[in-house]
Amino acid sequence: MSQRASFDHATLECAADWFARLQAAPADAELHAQWRQWLEQGEGQRLAWSYVERIGQRFGSLQQQGSVAHQTLASLRNGKHSRRRLVSQLGVLAGVGMLGWLGWRSDGLDRVRALRAGYRTGIGERRSEVLADGTRLWLNSATALDVQFDTVNRELHLYAGEVLIETGHGDSRPLRVRTRAGLLEPLGTRFSVRDEGALTELNVYQGAVRTTCADSGAVATVQAGQGLRFDRQANGPLVRAQARREAWSRGLLLAEDMPLAQFIEELASYRSGHIGVDPALHGLRVMGSFPLNDSDLVLAQLQDALPIRVQRRFDWWVTLVPR
Amino acid sequence: MTQSPPSAYHAKVASLYVDNLSWVQQWIARRLGNASDAAELAQDVFVRLLTQPREFDSDSHARAWLSRVSLHLCVDFWRRKQLERAWLEALAQVPESHWPSQEHQAIILETLGQLQDLLERLPPRVAEAFSLSQLHGMSYRQIGELLEVSERTVTKYIAQAMFQCALLEAELDGVLL
Repeated sequence: MSQRASFDHATLECAADWFARLQAAPADAELHAQWRQWLEQGEGQRLAWSYVERIGQRFGSLQQQGSVAHQTLASLRNGKHSRRRLVSQLGVLAGVGMLGWLGWRSDGLDRVRALRAGYRTGIGERRSEVLADGTRLWLNSATALDVQFDTVNRELHLYAGEVLIETGHGDSRPLRVRTRAGLLEPLGTRFSVRDEGALTELNVYQGAVRTTCADSGAVATVQAGQGLRFDRQANGPLVRAQARREAWSRGLLLAEDMPLAQFIEELASYRSGHIGVDPALHGLRVMGSFPLNDSDLVLAQLQDALPIRVQRRFDWWVTLVPR
Repeated sequence: MTQSPPSAYHAKVASLYVDNLSWVQQWIARRLGNASDAAELAQDVFVRLLTQPREFDSDSHARAWLSRVSLHLCVDFWRRKQLERAWLEALAQVPESHWPSQEHQAIILETLGQLQDLLERLPPRVAEAFSLSQLHGMSYRQIGELLEVSERTVTKYIAQAMFQCALLEAELDGVLL
């Protein structure tokens, strides 16, 4: 061959198209004849087809273990372990011991997806972002958030989930966070906002945040070390800020003498699928810090520490029963 | 980029190795949480310098390259571990009498790794449809029912997936116009 054979995108597209159509109708003689005609048009077509065949063979070589192979790749896909994501997570979570990343699925977030928010995380996913003004955001599992900056305002809209915010310095435009329950205005600060449907939970770790209920207009000022839950009408009592509402940004789930059922509810928000707790276990309490990136590992740790057994029906259905 | 003659280059790599091995090893160990794998991966980082020679302008340039390569090797390592784990979990669902031999499993994992790289570039539904068809051997009608789309759409998904996969291979081979 004096010149190396080659083909263009369109030819390869045709080849892929033929592949898909032939597979749909393997017994269609007329289709086969048409395909042959296309194939014999030239060297480019034949070469393009050889690439299609090569891919087909590579998949075909696993057909004997096809369903297991499919299951393997599907669980990796649903776990969102893409190379790019891993690179960023390895960067962000450096220092937190990582034992495994499997066990998450991306389903069940349709409601959030529908919102088409600018910043989203899937179930089990946590991510940090730095906004143009230097404000840092940590998005917890299953979170949807929009950022709107203009010349006079910086506004964040939390639709679902939870965000930890560390405001940047030196921007004169006021920063605001809107939730279904109302408005939050930080004053140079670090705080977390969690959407619980009608309720919004605020925890302030530095500085202070002013809140306004959406309907009644009732305001409250929450200082560092304090937490508050409010809805559209009214504010709840000021309570001590919850350390665990910040710990997730460091990849940790903190339990300070927490009822098992509440702990599992929290853990379940990082994992799609069902975790059931036998009512007989409701009196148990959990203490410690647990890695958020591996809920299977956490379940194993619980099994070691408490008189419980983890019963696995399916990957997505786990029940805790007395041992 | 100018390159030193091989012997001089080897001497440079040797001195980089001596100066940097310990922090590279710690850097990787911190990310993997496992010292023995880290020791091995750290060697691979420097092996790469021998197989793909390169020159550095400064110590900080060398350090930046070393940490970048370390990160990539960590990612490869993790992906491999995840793949193995996912494979074993999936395998546990079928009777042991159907399990391929250990040797065959190693080949399968190698191939699965390549398929994962290919499928990961596709939109999830397209990847799912392609995998169901090519691995699971499902008909387009079955796939359509599962994904709640028409057979026509499934055909499109399959064509799209095949095009993207073949495109990547063709680009790597440099046969595209």
